[in-house]
Amino acid sequence: MGILLFITVLLIAACGLIYELIAGTLASYLLGDSVLQFSTIIGCYLFAMGIGSALSRYLDRGLAYRFVWIELLLGVIGGFSSALLFLAFAYTQGFQLLMYALVVVIGVLVGLEIPLLMRIVRDRYQFRDVVAHVLTFDYLGALGASLLFPILLVPYLGLVRSAMLFGIVNVAVALWGTFLFASQIASVRALRIMCVVVLCGLGIGLAEAKRITVAAEDNIYADEIIFARDTRYQQIVLTRFKDDIRLFLSSHLQFSSRDEYRYHEALVHPGLSAVPAPRRVLVLGGGDGLAVREILKYPQIESVTLVDLDPEMTHLFSTHPMLTALNQKSFSSPKVHILNADAFPWVDSNTDSFDFIVIDFPDPTNYSLGKLYTTAFYKAAARHLSAQGLMVVQSTSPMFARDSYWCIAQTLKQAGLETHPYHVYVPSFGEWGFVIASYREYQLPTTVPKGLRFLSVAGLPALFQFPPDMSPLPMPPNRLNDQVLVRAYDQDWKDISH
Amino acid sequence: MKLRTSRRKFLWSASAALVGLSIKGDRPIAGSFVNDSFQMGHQLRDRSKFPQPKQIVKRAVVIVGGGIAGLSAAWRLHKLGFTDFILLEMNDQPGGNSRWGENEITAYPWAAHYVPVPGPKAVYVRELFEELGVLNNGQWEERYLCFTPQERLFLYGKWQDGIEPAIGLTASDRDQFRRLEDQIQAFRATGKFTVPMELGISLSTANLDQISFREWLHSQQMDSRILNWYMNYCCRDDYGATTGDTSAWAGIQYFASREPEEKGPLTWPEGNGWIVRRLLERVGSFVHTNQMVYRISQREKRVSILAGDTEYQAEFLIFAAPSFLAPYLIEGMAPLHDFEYSPWLTANLTLEHFPDSYGGDPTWDNVLMESPTLGYVDATHQSLRSHVERTVWTFYWALAEAPPSENRHLLLNKDWNYWKEAVLDDLERVHPDIRKCVSRIDIMRMGHAMARPKVGAIFSAERRNLAQAQGRILFANSDLSGFSIFEEAQYRGVNAADRVLGQVAR
Repeated sequence: MGILLFITVLLIAACGLIYELIAGTLASYLLGDSVLQFSTIIGCYLFAMGIGSALSRYLDRGLAYRFVWIELLLGVIGGFSSALLFLAFAYTQGFQLLMYALVVVIGVLVGLEIPLLMRIVRDRYQFRDVVAHVLTFDYLGALGASLLFPILLVPYLGLVRSAMLFGIVNVAVALWGTFLFASQIASVRALRIMCVVVLCGLGIGLAEAKRITVAAEDNIYADEIIFARDTRYQQIVLTRFKDDIRLFLSSHLQFSSRDEYRYHEALVHPGLSAVPAPRRVLVLGGGDGLAVREILKYPQIESVTLVDLDPEMTHLFSTHPMLTALNQKSFSSPKVHILNADAFPWVDSNTDSFDFIVIDFPDPTNYSLGKLYTTAFYKAAARHLSAQGLMVVQSTSPMFARDSYWCIAQTLKQAGLETHPYHVYVPSFGEWGFVIASYREYQLPTTVPKGLRFLSVAGLPALFQFPPDMSPLPMPPNRLNDQVLVRAYDQDWKDISH
Repeated sequence: MKLRTSRRKFLWSASAALVGLSIKGDRPIAGSFVNDSFQMGHQLRDRSKFPQPKQIVKRAVVIVGGGIAGLSAAWRLHKLGFTDFILLEMNDQPGGNSRWGENEITAYPWAAHYVPVPGPKAVYVRELFEELGVLNNGQWEERYLCFTPQERLFLYGKWQDGIEPAIGLTASDRDQFRRLEDQIQAFRATGKFTVPMELGISLSTANLDQISFREWLHSQQMDSRILNWYMNYCCRDDYGATTGDTSAWAGIQYFASREPEEKGPLTWPEGNGWIVRRLLERVGSFVHTNQMVYRISQREKRVSILAGDTEYQAEFLIFAAPSFLAPYLIEGMAPLHDFEYSPWLTANLTLEHFPDSYGGDPTWDNVLMESPTLGYVDATHQSLRSHVERTVWTFYWALAEAPPSENRHLLLNKDWNYWKEAVLDDLERVHPDIRKCVSRIDIMRMGHAMARPKVGAIFSAERRNLAQAQGRILFANSDLSGFSIFEEAQYRGVNAADRVLGQVAR
């Protein structure tokens, strides 16, 4: 019995420390400034343990029963703490409040554990043996946890599942306690049923949590993941490193908050500023609201229609505080109408006309996306252009995917449009390319909106100059029945990665 | 023992349910036979009693049969300003072998699902396609050309692009493919293999109609197993017959009548049903469905056609239904011997999602080498959508391996469940998880689906005589060409309409 009892001490010590480490790590991931986060969390946690120890003196009857209950509570609260914090961060403003509350509650419960346990077993051993053994195993457990956490748990299980796993350990200890102290507990049966139910809950959590954290295990993300979800249409992942937020859709980088203004200013203004009196704008793709943010810098614009396939994407960028700060709440503007629809059938059936059309789709990595880069698609899209209308197309990199870029330009030409290719340097992407296309003549704008961080009238002509390493290549147009672009794009990136 | 097993099973299910899991079984699959027309056919065959006509309707021209041939005859008449005609279709849906279906996911074909990009000689097809916006200023409309990737073949446990086997070939296989290609090229150069076939056919090639395609391949020292599989597949696909049951002329026609590197084919979600829909937009008001013709009598100055409770009196009759029906309908017509037809089965499978075992990019036509069937075509492949979850697969099975009469018997006597299982078993060769994806299988049985160009069929005097019949009854079905393809049906229909217009009083 003796050794089993002390292993219990070891396990509960490990659990307590793991919860604390998880809270500290999560706070560093999500809020940055790890020194501050770890210091305050350790401080709160130790202080709360002290409160727990102090409170233990007020418990004097049914100690074993209470001990089992404390383990159960710790299992539930600690086990779900990490998942709860992730959700709170994604959906509420109260992340920090919840985090410190959880740390304090867990700390108090952990603080109660050891004094209670010592008192439960004090009749069986010499007092000095109890203290020596309990504390020895307590510190051993802490050592084990602190080694396990960085080496095995974070890399292989992730934060959400690590918490769940140790929640299960806590509840297992509770269940074990009902056997260990059976003689000292009146309603053993009810407690055991409770333990089994909670174990099942945590078990399901552990299985389901895989879905949230599967992205985290994918080592393409250099930084910490603050949001990950598999929607019907794609995998959305947001990462953050200090003040840099990055969006990945199905593993492809969409923007970095540090330099996205370069991309979005270049995407919108060279075209839109050249439209004499723009009133109606269409955005295809662009569910992050960043292109719309730029479009709303023109007060004369009356309506912006945004068609994006994924409602979860537009919802995320309409509600998440960190993201609405980035797109300046562009989706909340009364001028903006969001439609969640598949773009090709939409442009094919809709008959509205627009003064400016932004086509900002993910790169043509497969035949499904490739349909949105075909002569058939551009013809259908161009039918929506008003007499003064211009269209701009995100066209991959003329540097890294030179064939693809010029293939897109050729496709627009083949669709009967006049094309004006240009490019911009976006540090997180490299050289990136766009094409302005229209039925009418295009001339460089003579003004751009005030307050731009990158684009200026003086700087515009340079964007339209292509140095020799990005200069035009003869490429066939991309059509639905051959999709040369998808193959070219695949080849372009293969060439670079070798 | 039994009790223990079931108790363990019970406990297992109970505990599984406890942790919120349910034991995943296969999806229940709904469906039925659809578009059956056996009964009507058998009524004709058995010369059942039909009601006496109660009314007389007079038209200058009556077209019997609402497939591509009949609809094309109607299209031609109407386009040339002639409107004193009516078209009688036995089924409740016109279209014949180009019928289609539709559910909440997509439209899908029930039979013919594509038209190869027509060559310069197929002038009527080109004219129709120009009218329908499929051909604009010499350019084929992109959205009607089959999207990429078009075809793939499952062999040796993997998928390859294209249906012609390209992996695992020996030097001898390659040599034989090359020699066959050269031969075909030479036949093509003679200009005697054309679409429509009537424009090129020459007595100098009649000897090819006297042996089977299998015999011809053998005589050319082409015994490669892979080459013979591919030739057999092509004959099953176009004619519903094996190479042994196909005239060598027809086997060669399959390849020599078309350019080798044509892009395409032209296709639509509902297959050639799309063309039927466009034709019905133009001539639908002349089409009367559920009109089973049961008696046709030729008088001196008119033709009398009995259908339902009506006697139609016409100056001319265009018989566009399958020709084998004619002797059962036309008073005094001698039985036909040279017309044979292949029985087919098509199944439309509703998939709630693509199988995990799909493998590769979604492809239009998917063929399995080790299968007696023709594989499946994805109806949402021509969708403009970027995101497709649910889809419909049209599964094609020409019952080519035994005599047609035996297979017709099999088609008729096995129930839906039998055929459903047969279809799923076949697909399980490549998609072991297919039963988890399919929610519905509808099956169409066609006893006489396609004319079979057996040995001697192409140069048959009977066929030629029927095609050139003078008088008040003209024949127009594609089987007059010896085989059933869209272009032949359209050509025969238009041709019959032209011949009627040359004689009819306007």
